[in-house]
Amino acid sequence: MQVFDPTAPVAGATQNLRRTVGDLRGKVIGFIDNTKPNFNLLVDDLAVLLAERYGVKSVIKQVKRSVATPAAANVLDDLATQCDLVITGSGD
Amino acid sequence: MNSSLTRAALVEAPDDLDELIEFFHARRWSDGLPIVPPTRERVARMLSGTTKKPDDVIAKIAPGFGEATVERIAINAVMAGCRVDYLPLLIAASQAMSDPQFNLQGIQATTNPVAVWLLVNGPIAEQLGVNGGMNCLGQGTVANATLGRALRLIMQNIGGALPGDMDRATHGQPGKFSFCCAENEAQSPWEALHIERGFTREQSTVTVIAAAGTHNLNTHADNADELIKVIADTMAFPASNDYWIGGEPWLVLGPQHAAILAAGGLGKFDVKRRLWEESKLSAGRLCAKELSRTQSARGAALGTITSETMLTVAQKAEDIGIVVAGGPGTHTVYVASFGDARAVTKVIGLV
Repeated sequence: MQVFDPTAPVAGATQNLRRTVGDLRGKVIGFIDNTKPNFNLLVDDLAVLLAERYGVKSVIKQVKRSVATPAAANVLDDLATQCDLVITGSGD
Repeated sequence: MNSSLTRAALVEAPDDLDELIEFFHARRWSDGLPIVPPTRERVARMLSGTTKKPDDVIAKIAPGFGEATVERIAINAVMAGCRVDYLPLLIAASQAMSDPQFNLQGIQATTNPVAVWLLVNGPIAEQLGVNGGMNCLGQGTVANATLGRALRLIMQNIGGALPGDMDRATHGQPGKFSFCCAENEAQSPWEALHIERGFTREQSTVTVIAAAGTHNLNTHADNADELIKVIADTMAFPASNDYWIGGEPWLVLGPQHAAILAAGGLGKFDVKRRLWEESKLSAGRLCAKELSRTQSARGAALGTITSETMLTVAQKAEDIGIVVAGGPGTHTVYVASFGDARAVTKVIGLV
């Protein structure tokens, strides 16, 4: 017999980067802290490494209100304006 | 096979019912229970339950953001065993759960055991036979069983949240098979939920709620003060998302308990206010990591949080949800919430 497939195509299956950054030297890197324990400490260490080893210009850290909610729109807008690259926290 | 992205595809499947059911299980198109085959005829009959067009896109369902067309909602409704006149409720529920304040992406992908609780108000509850009385959160009522099941299939098949894949639940909970009831408006001493939320008595609504589980409160307290105290004490436990986030917990008051509170002179908001005040939890009862997360989540509202801080279960008293449902007995159900979600109510269109 014929039956309907109950699923829907998953949106955004093919994603393209808007642009690539290449070299990190002189770039501004953003982090979105997901509020899981120790993420802030990890980012502090990464900021030092990114500056010393890769010559990034600066690191900007933003914190979400809690782990399961999206970052606020103004946080995303700020990061989009200021950063060349943004890294989001996920999991523990 | 239809090539349009908004129209569902027909596929060849076994004629034998047992084999057909295994065909659905093998593709992970079911919830683990046998399904009703969504044939062209059955889906066409289900679609007669609305005047909306099959390719109308009602919502995009997180986390995969698949398009919930009327047709796909109807297909999953057929599979769950729904009757034709249930379709408008599922359309409204799909709209409701895709509202950003419900945070469906978080609900679908979390390790928490979050079920989407469908709460039905207004005349449609009686028309569809949605149970708000005895055993309303249990088995035995077609509408309660199949509406909640259909919503879960929509979340899984259209939203793409398969257990162990995008659905990261550590345990899940039985309510993820179905979690649906009506409010027992006839036996409530207060205005019904949909009226509290700005709708008229004649309107029919469905409210989606991010429910972390059900906890039985069996108490023979026979006056309002005692009853408030017992309920408030039970709400306050440290491993609760509601305290560290400032959540939206719910109480399903049994009609007997509601009558005791009303006889004590308490309106619904009085009950919320008393529970909010009396269920405060010392932050010192939280573990260190939870205290840190509480600071992140609630610091902006509460300032510096120490082990001396008394945390409220919700950011404000109004955020405690109260409905009256169930049958006779000395029981109330506490529904702790996911925390990072707010209930959404939508009108059920009758066409």
